[in-house]
Amino acid sequence: MSQAATTAGAAPAASVASTEQYNYAIVKKFAVAAVLWGVFGMAAGVWIASQLAWPFLNFDIAQITFGRFRPVHTTAVIFGFGGNALFATSYYVVQRTCHARLWNDSLASFTFYGWNLALILGVISYMAGITQGREYAEFNWQIDLIILVTWVVYFLVFTMTLLRRNQPHIYVANWFFMSFILATALLHIFNNIEVPVGLFNPQSYPMFSGVQDAMRQWWYGHNAVGFFLTAAFLGMMYYFVPKQAGRPIYSYKLSIIHFWALIFLYMWVGAHHLHWTALPDWVSTLAATFSILLLLPSWGGMINGIMTLSGAWDKLRTDPIMLFLITALAFYGMSTFEGPMMSLKSVNALSHYTDWTVGHVHSGALGWVAMISFGSLYHLIPRLWNVNLFSLKLVYVHFFLATVGIVLYITAMWVAGIGQGLMLRAFDQYGNLAYTFTESVVFLHQPYVVRAIGGGLFLLGMVIMAFNIFMTVRSGIKAEARARQEAIEAEARTA
Amino acid sequence: MSTQDNRKPGQGEVETTGHVWDQDLAEYNNPLPRWWLWGFYATVVFALVYWVLYPAWPIGDTFTKGLASVTYEQDGEEVTTHWNTRALFYRDMQTGEYAVRQRNMLEQVAGMEYAEILQDADAMSFVNAYAQGSFGTWCAACHQVGGAGVIGQYPNLRNDHWKWGGTVEQIEETLVQGRLGYMPGYRGILSDQQLENVSAFVLSMNGYDMDPAAVEAGERIFTGTDGGCFQCHGTGGEGLESQGAPNLTNDIWGLVDVHGAADDGERQRQVARFIGNGAQREMPAFADRLSDEEIKILTAYVHSLGGGQP
Repeated sequence: MSQAATTAGAAPAASVASTEQYNYAIVKKFAVAAVLWGVFGMAAGVWIASQLAWPFLNFDIAQITFGRFRPVHTTAVIFGFGGNALFATSYYVVQRTCHARLWNDSLASFTFYGWNLALILGVISYMAGITQGREYAEFNWQIDLIILVTWVVYFLVFTMTLLRRNQPHIYVANWFFMSFILATALLHIFNNIEVPVGLFNPQSYPMFSGVQDAMRQWWYGHNAVGFFLTAAFLGMMYYFVPKQAGRPIYSYKLSIIHFWALIFLYMWVGAHHLHWTALPDWVSTLAATFSILLLLPSWGGMINGIMTLSGAWDKLRTDPIMLFLITALAFYGMSTFEGPMMSLKSVNALSHYTDWTVGHVHSGALGWVAMISFGSLYHLIPRLWNVNLFSLKLVYVHFFLATVGIVLYITAMWVAGIGQGLMLRAFDQYGNLAYTFTESVVFLHQPYVVRAIGGGLFLLGMVIMAFNIFMTVRSGIKAEARARQEAIEAEARTA
Repeated sequence: MSTQDNRKPGQGEVETTGHVWDQDLAEYNNPLPRWWLWGFYATVVFALVYWVLYPAWPIGDTFTKGLASVTYEQDGEEVTTHWNTRALFYRDMQTGEYAVRQRNMLEQVAGMEYAEILQDADAMSFVNAYAQGSFGTWCAACHQVGGAGVIGQYPNLRNDHWKWGGTVEQIEETLVQGRLGYMPGYRGILSDQQLENVSAFVLSMNGYDMDPAAVEAGERIFTGTDGGCFQCHGTGGEGLESQGAPNLTNDIWGLVDVHGAADDGERQRQVARFIGNGAQREMPAFADRLSDEEIKILTAYVHSLGGGQP
């Protein structure tokens, strides 16, 4: 394909696939759903961040208090925005790199409705106060089952499509997507082994208790980060970065080594969420050392992405979509450095239970996951509807709002977290604890305000993106209708 | 385009793997970056060292203990064990700099009488520092940071108005066993008019200018059998510490916001409403929750807040 056709926003007229060749309908559904969940989930985030800064904002309404709305936020952004973006891109990438149409349209369609139904039910149940109380796995057992069935069908659709490929080799992006789908199934099933109280009762008893259960939860929690939020989005990166740059991936060798190292090492590190607890010391040690071992394999993906642009750095000046993709990789590199540092017991003693953790998660979630998704969706959506992006200028605006928002967010949380950690361990000259917990809460007010502002800017960028995408899709639908009309008229004339 | 200028020497000369997907997706086969590889080896070395020093790998139903050790004291004997967080905690609490300092101060204060503590600047400095955390944890939820209380809810500890007495012995008793304050509601026993009259009398004892007829009628109820208020509050309204009945003559108001009211009429209505409703207040007992030293420190602290009685 020509270089020009892959530049920002330009629809690759020559490479448009006919609807018969690829199933774009399902990709379109997931892509639009990702944008809608993004707006909702990030608005929910800004709302609860504002509640922490100004508690009166909960208005004494139980359904919207921080405790119930926080899982609404995490579910909407991780599984709603991130999940739908992954479905969209994985279905798109697997078709285009296998040169094969997605296996079974109706089952693919089923994954869309199953996934989004589960999320909507989840959001409603959290607001009603129904939760398992397991972080990122708050869904009650009935919803767990809907997710389970959906996921198995997803696995089937993806694998069957891989099997019907017209290519001898499986492209690297698909390895990552595959590992993500397999690992997520494993995590979801094992973390949700539970005994329901009754058929019509949302509550259930977990199969394990005490420290075993805590370990199981954080084995799940950290691998949700590892496979859902890292491996899967690396899959996205491996397709959209070289596509948008119009250049080959930097190193095939590196991609193999860092892929296997990453998926092998990630499974061990979950227990670093439980340092200095009842967890046996040897488990803590293993989790910390494997986290350190994970640093360079994580960076492998960053190197492969950023170095792909080597020789085409000028694109950063002219292509805002490339800006999103490369900035995402920079944030990815930063937070995968920060993570192993925080997993060392001595650093963790300061950082744990503080907002540093929250900041770390968001430098990954906003900086990496959201930015790479934004870039990929800006690349993907015009191609799906075969039009140009409505406005490249608005992509620039979105980029700068998002970047400034993230920087405000992360720095505020560093200040909050480190300050809080230092206050809670400070002694006076008599050996007494120098501060009460309440004093640390008072200290947090200003960073919380800055965080809410940063989140607000990020949300504003997301809203601008939604508008841009809406206008793009609308012009796509109009063009399609016009083409159909012309075809009918032409047929009428010849008849 | 300036792509050639940015290209590292050698970069791009590398062959691709020959696979092509989706028309133009290809892969160079660059070698692993050397710094990346050596960086990875370095983390492996780090992990190996860590595993040799600390508990790390499970073996059957035990685990590798590591070479690092911790020495601490148990039942008067010195124990050396492999590095573990529990032993580390024991050692820190036994010999840690801050733990030792705090223990020395606690022992010193425990050995002193209240009178000595209150006179000793060093001891009081420690008491204030310690109580900042302790009061903040146990007391401030009701009495507020600093002890100013909440009008209508929780007593102010910074003034010299004490329902249960303000000597160190009485304050300590309040902390140890808690207090249950009770005043019956008079609505139904007294008519609305009578309640207004008692209110006028009570306010007049604090220097408020009330209707003389109402004051006189109120005094008869207060000191007579109709109201019987005197039985707890005393005929002159001076209060009774054994009942937790407050002094009603010092113009200090904990449960009715008399000073915040707009005018005397509003004051009279508020006090009347309070007498009608009655009140029940509980201060929880802390005997089982705090150590003797901690109660001693909090007692001295509360006594020193401003209203302690000799």
